[in-house]
Amino acid sequence: MEEKKFIWGSPWGYRASMFTVAAMVFGGFLLQLLYGPFNFYFLHRPVNYIVGALMLILSVLSLSAKNNELAKRLSGIHLAASLMVFLLIFSLIMGLTPQMTSLPQNADLWARLGFAQVTSSWPFIIIYLATLMSLAMTVARRVKERRKGDLVFLLNHVGLWLVLAAAGLGAADMRRHVMYVQEGQMEWRVHSDDRQVMELPLAIRLDDFIMEEYPARLAIIDRKTGAAQPPGRPELYQFDPEKSKTSLLDWDIQILDYHYQAVPAGAGAYQYSNMPASTQAVQVIAQNHHSKIIRLGWLSPGNSLLPPSTLFLDDKFALVMAQAEAKRFVSKIKVFAQSGQETEAEVEVNSPLRVGDWLIYQYGYDNRAGRMSTYSSFELIYDPWLYPVYAGLILWALGALGLIVQGKPGRGKIE
Amino acid sequence: MTWAHFNWLAPPAIILWFLASLMVMRRKNKLADMFMIGGILIFAVFIVGFWIGVQRPPMRTMGETRLWHSFFLSAAGFLAYKRWKYSWLLVFSSLLASVFAIINMLKPEMHSIALMPALQSYYFVPHVTAYMLSYSILAVGTIASLIQLKKINSGKPDFNLYAFLDNIIYIGLGFLMLGLITGAAWAKEAWGHYWSWDPKETWAFITAAAYLIYIHLRLREANRKITLLMLPLAFVLLMITWLGTSFLPSASGSVHVYS
Ligand code: HEM
Repeated sequence: MEEKKFIWGSPWGYRASMFTVAAMVFGGFLLQLLYGPFNFYFLHRPVNYIVGALMLILSVLSLSAKNNELAKRLSGIHLAASLMVFLLIFSLIMGLTPQMTSLPQNADLWARLGFAQVTSSWPFIIIYLATLMSLAMTVARRVKERRKGDLVFLLNHVGLWLVLAAAGLGAADMRRHVMYVQEGQMEWRVHSDDRQVMELPLAIRLDDFIMEEYPARLAIIDRKTGAAQPPGRPELYQFDPEKSKTSLLDWDIQILDYHYQAVPAGAGAYQYSNMPASTQAVQVIAQNHHSKIIRLGWLSPGNSLLPPSTLFLDDKFALVMAQAEAKRFVSKIKVFAQSGQETEAEVEVNSPLRVGDWLIYQYGYDNRAGRMSTYSSFELIYDPWLYPVYAGLILWALGALGLIVQGKPGRGKIE
Repeated sequence: MTWAHFNWLAPPAIILWFLASLMVMRRKNKLADMFMIGGILIFAVFIVGFWIGVQRPPMRTMGETRLWHSFFLSAAGFLAYKRWKYSWLLVFSSLLASVFAIINMLKPEMHSIALMPALQSYYFVPHVTAYMLSYSILAVGTIASLIQLKKINSGKPDFNLYAFLDNIIYIGLGFLMLGLITGAAWAKEAWGHYWSWDPKETWAFITAAAYLIYIHLRLREANRKITLLMLPLAFVLLMITWLGTSFLPSASGSVHVYS
């Protein structure tokens, strides 16, 4: 009896809170063993609306019950810290052990308890939901109590709640598809996960695909094996049109001429050309530090139509131009929505296009063809929760600024 | 302006920052402010001139992003110093800012090292600078926590030190969360999801959770020692996030692993 009183007695301490959260986790393990991993799709609209609304309604209701012990406990710091401790433990497991996207047939107990897929395991989901609930109730209580430091507290907790609710529960409503569009053509079909052709409520016409490359890098390779030198930690030289001298291994290299777009002009030389099949080319002069031998010639990485061009330095090594890396790739597209809305835009990495609740991301292109790619691919993401999440992120960021500017209120002022 | 001008503008800025650090240590605060602002202004002028010179936002190469790191570290460090009057904040941030400026002067060939398209974003610089500031501030918090632990062991905790600790952890966690938030917004813009539990992201979450536990434990009476021990522990987790994720078995194929 003594022990029991200590655990459940008032004030509700850390021991009781940890015990409660541990019980939730234990229940989660049972559900996990019975039903397997949590299927996130279960939360899709309207379930997530209902869950979120219930949380808000319950938190508000908890205020009217005066001096309600349970409400106090659920919104208290002890439960909050205990939830955080368990979140920390679960994320540590995630950080230390490999996570899988799907379980093999003969999964061991560890995996079947959900540790190999923590984010879709019942215990984790339960802690996540409990954290959301605890946050909502804490905010409600603080709004009612009105205390010093309220603003920064509210920015952080309301912001975090919005982010966790809209990005977490909202994830159940998201859909992603990859669409491939040929230049000059219109496309509205994608493949679903089970390889069926699906039609989307959006069509994309690819008007132009532009790819810019960095100047291709120079390297010395072994003529026999093709390995870049020195082996293991190859030295690559990216020249910069402003500075055209360098040394690679035992060779001084000077750039005499460089074309971003060039075609072979006979006798191993290259000349400028804006033909679609053009490639990068550079004319170099290389001199060996020791033997003072001089080599002169053109280098080019080539492409799917033009062969590469290399410069033999001696009977062991050759100077080559590596495949150029993408600097940016842009698709000029026109999007036709079912509503009749038409949008023209340039889509590139880090700059998606938003049409209604759809986001269109530049996804890829024909890697082997590089800038000659005749198609571009897009990832289309249906995400009706964008604004709530961004609103939450902004509030939370303001809260973070509040912590920086204000420090810990009440105590600890050094002035 | 081009990089050639940088070699003329950066040394005076670095010298000004160095003088500011000297002055603040000698409590000549007015002079420190002037020197610090002078250095920041020189960087601002160069960035504007360089932006006009290259005719695009200068965020495409490693050299260009280091330029912003210098600028933001010195500016944010200075503002934080003005607010909190901790002179080491100014010294730390001008030191970090100078390191990036010096790398840019000594290694000109690294200016043009290419950034892959996903890294070319307005979020890159605030994301990385917020984390760098938070790491250095939390390092100071860790040292203070070790001192306090020692004092508790000898039976006399220092209450002023507690106040300092709490403030410093609030500030450091503030920057840590700004890094996390800009990271989430950036990931959404680049890949369409805010958080994908990539190993670096998982460990960033772990680190933030550990500091959050500390600040919440400090709100009500809790075991003093356990609470304080959260800080060295959190810093170990932070170091794993920063340096260790490349070596973890769970980290193969992370976008955050740089060779
Ligand atoms: C972004 C993450 C978070 C930050 C930055 C944060 C920050 C803070 C701060 C600074 C306080 C003290 C407020 C004051 O009295 O001035 C506080 C209080 C509190 N926080 Fe958090 N917190 C976060 C997440 C959470 C979460 C996830 C929970 C719940 C699981 C939570 C529950 C609480 C509770 C219960 C209090 C005490 C409120 C009271 O009794 O007045 N916090 N938090």
